[in-house]
Amino acid sequence: MSRMITRRGFALGGTGLAAASGLGLAAPALAQSEPIRIGWLAALTGPSSAPAIGFNRGVVWAAETINAAGGIKGRKVEIVTRDTQGDPTKAVNATQEMISQLKVHAIWGPTNSGESLATTAIMARGKMPNIHPCVVNSLIDPKKYPNAFRIAPSNTQWDDAVRNYTTKVAKAKKVAVIGDTTGYGVTAANDSAAGFQKDGAEVVYKANIDATQPDMTPDMLRARNAGAEAIVIWSVSTGMIARMLNTRAKMGWDVPFIGHPSLSSGEVGQLIDRPENWKKVYAIGYRSCSYGADGKLPPRSEELVQKLQGKVNLQDTLFWWIACAIDAVNLVADAVKETGSTANDAIIKRWNGLQAWPGYYGDYSYSAEDHNGYPGQDVVMSDASSGRNGTFALAPGYG
Amino acid sequence: MAAIHEAAPTAAAGAMPARPGLLPQLWPFAALLALALLLPLTGNEYWALIATRACIYWVLVSGLNLIVGFAGQLAIGYVSLLTVGAYTASVLAAGNLLEPLHPALALAAAAALGAVFGVVVGLPALRLRTFYFAMTTLGFATIVTQVALAWQDVTGGGIGITGPSLPAPFDTAWGFYYLCLALAALCTWITGNVARSRFGRALVTTRDAEVAAEASGIAKPRLLILVFLLAGALAGFAGGLFATLQTYITPDAFTFDLSLLFFIAVLIGGRGSILGPLLGTLLLTLLPEVAAPLAAWSTFLYAALLLVIVLAIPGGIASLIDARNRRKLPENRAVIPRPELLPALLGQQPKHAGLTLRDIVLSFGGVRAIDGLDLDLRPGEVHGLIGPNGSGKTTTLNVISGYYRPETGAMTCDGGPLPAGDAVGRAARGIARTFQTPRVVGEASVIENVMVGATIEGRTGFLEALLSLPRQRREERMLEDRARQALQAVGLGALADIRADRLQHSELRFMEIARALMLRPAFLMLDEPAAGLSTDEIKRLDQLIRGVSRQGIGVLLVEHHADLIFEICDRITVLNLGKVLAAGTPEEIRSHKEVVSAYLGG
Amino acid sequence: MLASILASGLAVGAIYALIGITYNTMFATSRVMSFTAGQLGMLGGVLGSFFALRLGLPILLALPLTLAACALVGVITEYVAVRPVLKSLDQHLYVLSTLALALMIQQVTALTWSTEPQPFPRLLGIGEGVWDEKYWLPVLACAVTIIGLEWLYRHTLVGRAFLAVAEDNFAARALGLPERNLRIASYALAGAIGALAGFAGGQLLLAFFANGPLLNFYGFVPVALGGLGNNRGAVIGGILLGLFQQAANFMVGGIFSSVAVFALFIIVLLAAPQGMFGAPAARRV
Repeated sequence: MSRMITRRGFALGGTGLAAASGLGLAAPALAQSEPIRIGWLAALTGPSSAPAIGFNRGVVWAAETINAAGGIKGRKVEIVTRDTQGDPTKAVNATQEMISQLKVHAIWGPTNSGESLATTAIMARGKMPNIHPCVVNSLIDPKKYPNAFRIAPSNTQWDDAVRNYTTKVAKAKKVAVIGDTTGYGVTAANDSAAGFQKDGAEVVYKANIDATQPDMTPDMLRARNAGAEAIVIWSVSTGMIARMLNTRAKMGWDVPFIGHPSLSSGEVGQLIDRPENWKKVYAIGYRSCSYGADGKLPPRSEELVQKLQGKVNLQDTLFWWIACAIDAVNLVADAVKETGSTANDAIIKRWNGLQAWPGYYGDYSYSAEDHNGYPGQDVVMSDASSGRNGTFALAPGYG
Repeated sequence: MAAIHEAAPTAAAGAMPARPGLLPQLWPFAALLALALLLPLTGNEYWALIATRACIYWVLVSGLNLIVGFAGQLAIGYVSLLTVGAYTASVLAAGNLLEPLHPALALAAAAALGAVFGVVVGLPALRLRTFYFAMTTLGFATIVTQVALAWQDVTGGGIGITGPSLPAPFDTAWGFYYLCLALAALCTWITGNVARSRFGRALVTTRDAEVAAEASGIAKPRLLILVFLLAGALAGFAGGLFATLQTYITPDAFTFDLSLLFFIAVLIGGRGSILGPLLGTLLLTLLPEVAAPLAAWSTFLYAALLLVIVLAIPGGIASLIDARNRRKLPENRAVIPRPELLPALLGQQPKHAGLTLRDIVLSFGGVRAIDGLDLDLRPGEVHGLIGPNGSGKTTTLNVISGYYRPETGAMTCDGGPLPAGDAVGRAARGIARTFQTPRVVGEASVIENVMVGATIEGRTGFLEALLSLPRQRREERMLEDRARQALQAVGLGALADIRADRLQHSELRFMEIARALMLRPAFLMLDEPAAGLSTDEIKRLDQLIRGVSRQGIGVLLVEHHADLIFEICDRITVLNLGKVLAAGTPEEIRSHKEVVSAYLGG
Repeated sequence: MLASILASGLAVGAIYALIGITYNTMFATSRVMSFTAGQLGMLGGVLGSFFALRLGLPILLALPLTLAACALVGVITEYVAVRPVLKSLDQHLYVLSTLALALMIQQVTALTWSTEPQPFPRLLGIGEGVWDEKYWLPVLACAVTIIGLEWLYRHTLVGRAFLAVAEDNFAARALGLPERNLRIASYALAGAIGALAGFAGGQLLLAFFANGPLLNFYGFVPVALGGLGNNRGAVIGGILLGLFQQAANFMVGGIFSSVAVFALFIIVLLAAPQGMFGAPAARRV
C-alpha cells in the first residue's frame, strides 16, 4: 500500500473498513477462518479528537500490515470502528453493539476517560477483552474488571513523572496547578495539587480555566504574584495552552510549563505567536518516543519510523499515539496467534501472562493481579517544542 | 339546502351519535407493546440496550410532551432534570451523602427531587414567553452540570460516580429492559389519561387560545405547576434509570445533544399527541444506530436524515396518523341550531340580581375608550350594545370579562361586587363569552373544544385524572354528553369529532357559543356573533339567542347588524366615544333623535 | 488586570452581539430563530483561516471570499431549513430543521478541516497588549455592522422594505413587496454578518469547529436580553454578557463563571420578561 494515511483520508478509510465489515457480518463464518474482529471505539469527530485520529492511523496501518502478511494463521484482522464523539452515551451503545451484535473478539478503546468510565462495567459484564489508553486510576481493577487492560500509563504514573520533574529537576518549591473546566481537567488538577502538597511542595495557585477564555493574563498574573516557580498544566485544550504560552512571553516571565502531553502537540506550535514562546515547556513523554542528544530514537522505534515512512503521516500527530495503537492491535493478534483461539478467556489468559512483551511504545507486563502494564520508568519528560515526526527530545536533566 | 338530519327532536336527549371507540386509537400502542415484548426472542443484548434506552427516554419525553406538545412551552434544557435524577439516585444509592439507600428508594428520591426541580425550572414559564423561557431552561442545564462537576466530594466531580445497580431480577439486561418497558407503558398510560382529561384540554387551550382558556376559568399557573411537577418527577426517575443503564455517570454524559433529542422527539412527533412523540423518541434513539456503521460520517448522516424527516412530514408524525384529519366532512352541510334542546342543556337559571356597571372609565394612552359608562344587564333579557367602530363596545365586554381593569367605577354581579380584572374568576361567577375572532384550538376536535367550556365544573383532582379513576371517568362521560348536547343545540352535532381547524368561520362562531353554553352561564356575552354569517345563518342565530334568554340567561350582544339587534333585543345601549348616547327599549332607540340621525340614517 | 478584563470582555461581547444580530436579521423576515447563527460565526473563522493561511490569499481577498461563502450558506439555510417549515411556525419545527443543518455544517467542518483549533492570521498587525488588534477588531466590526445596518434600514429602499416585512409580514406582502426575495436577501446578509463576527474574532476564538455551538449559545443570550429583533438591545446585551463573563471568569474561576452568567441571566429575564429593550406584550384580546 502506498496510500498516504493522512488525517482526512483516514476518517474515510476507517469508514470504508467499517462499512465493509458491517455488511460482511450478516453471514456466520467458520470459527477457524472467520476474521479476527477488533472493535475500535474512537472519538473521531468530537472536540479534542486529535488523539483518536492519531490512534486511528496506527490501527489502520497495523491491520493492513498484518493482513498484507497473510493474517494470523490465515485469519484476517478486521477493524470495526464506531465514532463515539467523546460522548459516553454513544460509547455505551457502541460497546454493547460490538459485544452483542458485531461479536467482536476484543475492543480497543475508548480513548478518553469519561467514556471509558461508562463502558468498563459493560465490557466486564460481557467479559470482553479490552485494551485502552485511559489514565484514570479507578479504570483498572483486576478484581472488578478482569477483562480490562491499560496499555498507557495511569494518572498516578503521569502525576509522578510531572511531580518528580517539577520538584527535583526544575527545583520548584512553589507551583501553580492549572486545569481546564472539563471533567478530566478538574479532577487531574485536584489530584496533582494534592500530590504536590503531600510531597512538601507548596501549591501557591490552583485554577480551572474555561478553555475558551480569550485572555489568560489575569490567571498568569495571579500565578506570578503568588510566587509560582513552575506552572503545571492539566488540559487537552491546545488552544488554551497556546494562549497561556503567548501570555507568558508577553509578560516576559520565564517560568517553566510542565505537564500534560498536549503541551507538546503540534497544534500548539501552530498557535503560538513566536517559536521561542514554546521554550521551557516540558510535556509528559515516553522513552520509546524520545530521541537523545544523538538525535536517535531507541532501535525498535527507529525501525517503526522506517516502516511507516511514506505510508503514515507523522507530521501533525504524536508518534506515541500511532505506536500505542499498533501495539494494541498487535496485542490482540499476538494472543490469537499464541493461543490459536479468539475466545475471551483465552485472550485474557494470554495477556495475564505477558512479561515485558516488546511493543513499539513500551514493554508491557501484565499479571492476574495487575493490569497496569506500562513500565513506569518509561514515562519521561520531553522538551515540548522539539517535536520531529511526533517524537521528542528528552527534557534537560535526563542526561 | 340539505340540512343534516339528526335524531328526532323528541329523542334528542337520549339518542346521541355513537362515541368514536377508543380501539382505533389504541391499536398502534398495542402493536408497539407486542413488538417490544417479543424483542427478547432476538436474544441480542445490543437490542436490549437500545430498547431500554428508548424506554427510559420515553419516560422523560412522555412528561416533557405535556409541557412542549400540549402546553406549548419551549423547554429545551430538560437534560438538567435527567442530570438531577441521575445524580440523586446514584449519590443516594452509593451513600456519598447519607447512609446508602436501597436502589428503589434512591429512584423514588430521584423522582421526588425531579418534581421539585421541575417546578423550579418551569416557574419562569409563568412570566416568560417562548425563546426567553427556552433560554432559561438551557441556563439551568448548564448550572446543574457545573455543580455536578464542582461538588466533587458528593458527585465524584469529573471522575463521576457509579450508577445504582438494581437487585434481581432487574440486574440482567433483559430484566432491566422489562422493568423499563413496564414503566414506559405506565407513563404512556398516565400521560394519555392526562391528555384526555380536562387538564389536557385546558393545556392545549392555554397554548392556542389563552384568552379563551381564561374566560373558561382555567388558571394557567396552577395548571402548569401540576404538569411541571409530573414532568419533573418522570424526568428525575428517568435520570435514575439512565444512571443504572449507563452503570457510571460523569458530567460529560449529560450533553446538550441529549437535551435536544428529548425536545426534538416531541417536535418530530407532533403537537397534542401521545403516539407521535412516542414514535419520535423511538426514531431518534434508533437513527444514530442505523447511521453508526458510517463511523466518522455517522453524525452527519443522522443530521441529514433528521432534515429529510422534517421536510417530508412538516406536520410531525402525529399529522400522518391523525384519523380526525381523514374523516370525511358531511357535504352541503349547514348549521341548523335546535333551540328546543336548550332547556335540557341549560336548565332554568335561578333568580339573579343581574350585572351592573357604574361610571366606568378606562383610557388607553390618554384616549378615553370608556368614559363614565353605566350599564345594567338583567337575567333573561337580551341586551344590545351598538355604536360606531371605536365607540367602546368590545372594550366594555373586556372590562366585564376582566381583561381590562377600569380606572374608576364599580361593577356588581348578583348583588355582590364584581372585582375588576380577574378574567379567570369570571366563569365561576357565571359569566361566559365569545370572541370577535373565534379563539379555538385548531388541532383539537370540535367536541374537545366545547368541553373546555365546563372546565371549572371538574371536581376530580389531578391524581385521579392521572390514574383515570372511576369518578374521573364518570365526570368525563357527563361532560362529553353535555358537550354533544350543546353541539346539537347549536347545530354542529354532526361535526363533533372533526378537527376544529377544518371548520368554516361561521361554524366556529357557533362552536364558541356551544363552548360558552357548557358553563350554563347566568350571562352570555357575544362579540359580533353574526359577523361573516349568511342571512339564513343570522336568522338561525336569532332563534338560538332567543332560546338561550328564555332559560333565564342574560345575553349581552355586541353587533353591527342593526336588523338583528332590533329584532331580538329587549334593551339597547348605544355608545359613542365611550359614552352612553342612548339607552332603552328598541322602540325608544328607534325614535331617539341623535341615534337616528347618526346611525340609522333616518 | 482590569484593563485585560475590559479588553477581552468587550471583544467577546462584540462577537456575541454580532451573532445576536445574525439571529435577529434572520428572525426579522422569517420569524425563525435559526440555530445556524453560531455555525456562521464558526465558519467565518475557519474559512478566513482557510483562505488567508492555507491558500495564502491576501486579507483583502480573504475577507470578501469568507463573507460571500457564508452568505451562500445563509441562502442555503433559507432554502433547505427555513422555507419548508414556515407554514407551521407555531410548531417550532424550525428548531429541528436549522439544528439539523447546523450539525451537518459542523460535522463536515470537523472532518474536512480539523477537530483541533487552527491558527488564524494576524490581519493588520497593529497594537500590543490590551490594545492588540484581536481585542478591538471585533468591536470595530460590531460598530461597522450597526452603522451599516442603520444606513441600510434608513436610507435605502431595500432596507425600508426589510423593515416593512419585519414589522408585518402579511401587510408587506399585501403591499406587493417581494417578501420571499427579501427573506433570501436577509439570510444572505445574516450569513455575512455571522462570518464577519467569526473573521474579526478569529484571532481570539481561533479557527475551531466547536466554536459553533458555543457561539449559538452565547449569541442567543444577548438576543434574549436585548429583546427579540432589537439590534441595539443585542449589542448592549452582548457587551454586558462579555464583560460579565470575563469578570466572572476572573472572580469565581472557570467552573462557576457559567453558573454566575446563567444565574444572572435568569434573574434579569425574570425582572424584564421581554428583555431589557423588548416591546411590551401586544394586547391580547
